[in-house]
Amino acid sequence: MSKPKFQASMAALSFSEKIKILEKLRDREKAIAAAGLRRRSKKVMADADRES
Amino acid sequence: MKATLELINQMQADGVIENYAIGGAVGATFYLAPAATVDLDLFVTLPRSSGALVSLSAIYEYLKSRGGTEQDEYIVVKDWPVQFLTPANALQDEAVNKAISTSVEGVPTRVISAEHLVAIALETGRAKDYTRILQFVEQDAVDRGKLKDIVERHGLSRKWSQFEQRFLKGMR
Repeated sequence: MSKPKFQASMAALSFSEKIKILEKLRDREKAIAAAGLRRRSKKVMADADRES
Repeated sequence: MKATLELINQMQADGVIENYAIGGAVGATFYLAPAATVDLDLFVTLPRSSGALVSLSAIYEYLKSRGGTEQDEYIVVKDWPVQFLTPANALQDEAVNKAISTSVEGVPTRVISAEHLVAIALETGRAKDYTRILQFVEQDAVDRGKLKDIVERHGLSRKWSQFEQRFLKGMR
């Protein structure tokens, strides 16, 4: 499915269904933040920049 | 979200707030594909009896006495960090007054109209606001005629023209 079609199908969901998706996305964000993955990946990229 | 909105509705029924409408990313989600966000932006109007000085302290006290906890600029209501915003100008006031009634899992609530969300984003003018406006345009989720009317009435025509020139050339 193309990106615009996927977006349209997501936009067509009911508000309740979209809120459930938002909550899943939010929980995933929290889990990533709690695991420090963002911080680590930023550090890895910064280290790579310094080396290049 | 359901439990959060139930408590907000109860707060309205108890007279702590006069009215409210969901804005920000959650409000935009009513019209667009869902995009990650960690907070709920609520525009609230306060009862006239609360005086000329606008204060959110009554809201905070009410929610804290029902389990809400303060966290930076938010108060966590059930499991959602909520940022309460009082309308800062006529545009935001109108946005609350003309919000659309809907529901989340059977709980009634109100969401700012797509055109008012776009106008507020235009007025705010951060990079993420412009990104959101583009999402509304690209997903054909905004009525251009209604938006033009709002933009003109609230002195945002020049900003909108600049935005169109910069980002919407060839998209019309």
